[in-house]
Amino acid sequence: MAILTVKKLRKTFPIKGKKLTAVDGVSFSVQKGEIFGLLGVNGAGKSTTINMLTGLTRPDSGSVTMFGKNYFKNEEECKQRCNVATAYYHLSHNLTALQNLKVFANLYNVHNPMEKIRELSEKFMVTHRFNTKVSYLSSGERTRLVIVKALLNNPEILFLDECTVGLDPDVAELVRDHLLQYNKETGCTIIFTSHYMQEVEKLCDRIAFMDSGKIVRVGNAHDLVKELQMQRVTLRFSQNKKEAKSLLRKEGIPFSEKGKMISFQIKNKNKVLYPLLEKFVKKKIVFDDIHVDKPTLEEYFIAQSRNAVKKEVTHK
Amino acid sequence: MRWHRIRALLQNYYYASLNSLDRIFDVIYWPILDIFIWGFMTLYIQGISEFNILNSILGAIVIWVFLWRASQDPVVYILESFWSRSVYHLFAAPVKVSELMVALSILGIVRSLIAFTVMISVSFLLYQFNFFAFNLGHFAMFIGILLLFAWGVGLLISSLVFRFGTRVQVLAWSTIWIIQPFSCVFYPVSALPVWAQKIAVLLPTTHVFEQLRASLAGNTINYGSLVYALVVSVLFTVIMAFVISRAIEKAKKSGRIAKAE
Repeated sequence: MAILTVKKLRKTFPIKGKKLTAVDGVSFSVQKGEIFGLLGVNGAGKSTTINMLTGLTRPDSGSVTMFGKNYFKNEEECKQRCNVATAYYHLSHNLTALQNLKVFANLYNVHNPMEKIRELSEKFMVTHRFNTKVSYLSSGERTRLVIVKALLNNPEILFLDECTVGLDPDVAELVRDHLLQYNKETGCTIIFTSHYMQEVEKLCDRIAFMDSGKIVRVGNAHDLVKELQMQRVTLRFSQNKKEAKSLLRKEGIPFSEKGKMISFQIKNKNKVLYPLLEKFVKKKIVFDDIHVDKPTLEEYFIAQSRNAVKKEVTHK
Repeated sequence: MRWHRIRALLQNYYYASLNSLDRIFDVIYWPILDIFIWGFMTLYIQGISEFNILNSILGAIVIWVFLWRASQDPVVYILESFWSRSVYHLFAAPVKVSELMVALSILGIVRSLIAFTVMISVSFLLYQFNFFAFNLGHFAMFIGILLLFAWGVGLLISSLVFRFGTRVQVLAWSTIWIIQPFSCVFYPVSALPVWAQKIAVLLPTTHVFEQLRASLAGNTINYGSLVYALVVSVLFTVIMAFVISRAIEKAKKSGRIAKAE
């Protein structure tokens, strides 16, 4: 059953007398316990979508059904069952880490607040900074504190908007592990945005790729990458390099060479690479080594981003 | 409305007050300074004239600071949440506008009472001004009406902050002072030019300070005047409560809360 259903969500912002469409008719559903990623370049509409789903920004039109209820008519209840963390908005600078957590534990009416605060703070390594004002915490500590805040009320839906930005790689890894563990233990649904593709690939069950306020693709990382169909093939020759180049030219495959290596890109392994290798064998062209790079989500992201930029330039 | 959320908001303001020298200065340093300056100046004027104005000036300044703090402090705490960008997390939590208003109103009363206590203590020590020698029932009425009006002013400025963002933050410190000359805090309405008197009589504050002077001088209180002040203050605060809820909704539409600016 879908725990969150978003239909035709739209948001425009007036900028210098014109209307900028930040989110343009976005629709998607997220199942209970799923980790759903929103991916896209800056300004694609990810954060605005999350802001609308957390009640911070009002949409122009569209509907949001959360826990089977109309979100905008049951905002108080829905917010009590959700939480949000982002690296860009910290807790109150004038308060210490512990004071902030106590305030939010009381806002969410957390049972045994100190026990919960201690348990989470130890996991995310902020206990030693309990009595330090947020303004004196490092960027990474502030972000971890916000994540602790976001888990205080045992949220059933957790919105994480680029929450690992500014964290050291080892700490980011630890945060990801804890979030995955939390998801597995509690069945919490996570809506996740990030610029780190490996992170998205590791965490998300499904990914929606956003471009110019619209969702252009939805699928798991494997499916999205498959769509790219581009693979880089690198062959190493100690002999027959000349013959190999001649064959590639004949087949119309553009290539580059560096030392003993020849590299080229193919779209379909079955249709291009295997017949080509058969021809190598027939012509007795011997190569020492072959390396086929699988496309990554990062390459998918770059390809989609380039498409988006091209479209924007054409539109202008 | 849920009490645990109001309590959490008050806890937030309590910690913010304890941790900030600025917020402590607001309720101790500035009120004491006011009592010093106005008290000694009044003693000097009293020495060179035949008027006994010490009580009316000190009474007026004590009540004025009450109005000032109750109207300004809630806005400053809202501004602080914008400055630290924590307003994002506050509004992502299930906090209702009504709960925010109640918490800010309680904050205004508490901080005004602290400033009030500091001022009457210092006034007694320096000038033997015994606040409790006057009609406390009258004072309770004056303070009650001014508190209502102060909440209204606080809500008005807070609405402007939500509507236009921190670029209008100067209003938090200046708005109440626009009202002061027309409120006749230290002088009777008759001291104003005719055009200013027309504005002054519309303000509930003017009626309260006029009756304050009457009470301190032992004259009869005009209850009709106080009823007018009470009705206007209640209406003003109710309208401003509506205005702030609209302003917050507008801020959500414009994305101002999400951007915390």
